[in-house]
Amino acid sequence: MKPIPMSKTKQRVAVRPESIANRAKALRNNSVISRISSKSRWFALIYRIFVYVILIDLAFVFLYPFIYMITTSLKHPVDLIDFAIKWIPTSLAWENFYYGMKGLQFWTHFNNSALISVVSVIGQVLSCSFVAYGFSRIRFPGREVLFVLCMFTMIIPPQTIIVPLYMQYKTIGWLDSVMPLIVPSFFANGLRGALFIFIFRQLFRGLPWELEDAARVDGCGSFRVYWRIILPLTPPAIVVTTLLSLVWHWNDFFEPSIFLTSEEKFTLPMMLPRLYQSLDTLTGSSFEVFSLPVVMAATFLALVPMLVVYLFLQRYFIQGVERSGLVE
Amino acid sequence: MTGKKLSLERKKMLAGYVYIAPWAIGFALFMLYPLIYSLWLAFHEVVGVGNFDLELVGWGNFNKAFVLDTQFIPLFISVVQDAVINTPLILVFSLFIAILLNHKIRGRAFFRAAFFLPVLIGSGLAMQQLLYAGVGKDTLVNGIGVPEEVFLYMGPTFSQIVFDMLSRLTVIFWKTGVQILLFLAGLQGISPSLYESARCDGATEWEMFWKITLPLISPIILLNLVYTCVDSFTDINNRMMVYIKDTAFTKIEMGYASGMGWIYFLFIFLLLIIVFASTRRLVVYTGEK
Repeated sequence: MKPIPMSKTKQRVAVRPESIANRAKALRNNSVISRISSKSRWFALIYRIFVYVILIDLAFVFLYPFIYMITTSLKHPVDLIDFAIKWIPTSLAWENFYYGMKGLQFWTHFNNSALISVVSVIGQVLSCSFVAYGFSRIRFPGREVLFVLCMFTMIIPPQTIIVPLYMQYKTIGWLDSVMPLIVPSFFANGLRGALFIFIFRQLFRGLPWELEDAARVDGCGSFRVYWRIILPLTPPAIVVTTLLSLVWHWNDFFEPSIFLTSEEKFTLPMMLPRLYQSLDTLTGSSFEVFSLPVVMAATFLALVPMLVVYLFLQRYFIQGVERSGLVE
Repeated sequence: MTGKKLSLERKKMLAGYVYIAPWAIGFALFMLYPLIYSLWLAFHEVVGVGNFDLELVGWGNFNKAFVLDTQFIPLFISVVQDAVINTPLILVFSLFIAILLNHKIRGRAFFRAAFFLPVLIGSGLAMQQLLYAGVGKDTLVNGIGVPEEVFLYMGPTFSQIVFDMLSRLTVIFWKTGVQILLFLAGLQGISPSLYESARCDGATEWEMFWKITLPLISPIILLNLVYTCVDSFTDINNRMMVYIKDTAFTKIEMGYASGMGWIYFLFIFLLLIIVFASTRRLVVYTGEK
């Protein structure tokens, strides 16, 4: 072993810190650079304020229907006529919600809606991701043609096929039951099933192939690859599909209004147009007296389940998105 | 050796068909059969309402739509016009909002929740109740805080135009929740290290948007484009759809309604093929094999 000459190391060590310090000093003294950095700091601040102003402004636009619904639903008829009162009612009229509950026959129809929506969502998440795996990760002849066909189903206006569907369900005795509304969901069809296949496919295609190859080398079958590797990697797709499918099934009225004929089987939003009628029979008088505040209370009640679910899923959505961000 | 390899390939291919099977069965039962039946109906017309007697009319229904019916073509054009105007507005607006929401800002969870909320109302019966109550009209004016005096200075005609435009924009904005959500999910998926290395190389924010953000979310742009188009064309409250529904169930001209339905969605199909074909080169997939 040859000892390193002392003078040489000393020299090297001595030169370096000095030059770094000099350079840093020069940078600090350079007026042009300091001006630029202060300018960019101002720019950043203004940009930040701009972002907040735009976001708060537009958030108000997006929240307006809810603010309007809540404030109006808590108004007495007197407050409604008074133009001076725009947002805050003089006293809270909670009885509007009582009449809203009564008029909607809330719990009966809530149960109907919940059954249809929840079962359909489970069916669509499972079947659409399964089919999307086939469309995105396995090569087989005719795949592109079948996929085009699948997208084709998305654009079929529901009105075009409703008459034949009605006759079809009539012959198998599914009319006035929830079957026409939930069974297609388990076959990756149903309400916008093709769109959910598309969402899953887009996200599956973006995943690295190395993961799948590694699992296959280790002896994983394609179903296990789908179930244990691909599906757990796409929480955003699952949460997005769950949320959208739930909300659309909840608010859908075209198919339920045709396939469900007896009133006790109606979904919750379907009771909204019948509100006046059912309140008239309930109170035994003309309902006009209550009018708008009760209607708004009922509308809000019909949306509350979705609000609750959304507030609950929101957290999982953020987690899911961040987890997938780490993967890529 | 080669025989075994071939059978493996074949096995994999068969697996592909197994994955598609649920959809194929559902498609045949709930789409294909009703669709063919409806095409058959399009060449017929209901003559006896009571027992649903059909009469062959040939191309009569299509002739009726394009030549005899004075309402069909203007309605069709207005629906296409709406879609052509609304789609770019929705895409640009939702991307803009998603980029703003992707910043590290305070109350991000709140804003994200707020922009998605109108989706919960949907365009169903609850939204109809709200629009009857007149919510759509003054929201944007109140929201952006345009004082009423401004409208007084503008004069009645011009202020009316601006007012209509703003209320129309409001209803369009409320429909952007899904698109914002999808863009945000796409933006979250872009690795921050890409921006870091670009910044080290001296790229500006503007350059990074065009060179990193836009190519990497191009699959999401395509998804949103398709979604927005289809959403505006097959919306239940769309005037064309209402017209078809009334023809089928109020006038009981089911054959004519089926014919119009077929014309309508063949048009949408062609449009989507054009969209897919023209964006094929523009969309970047990172995991492509």
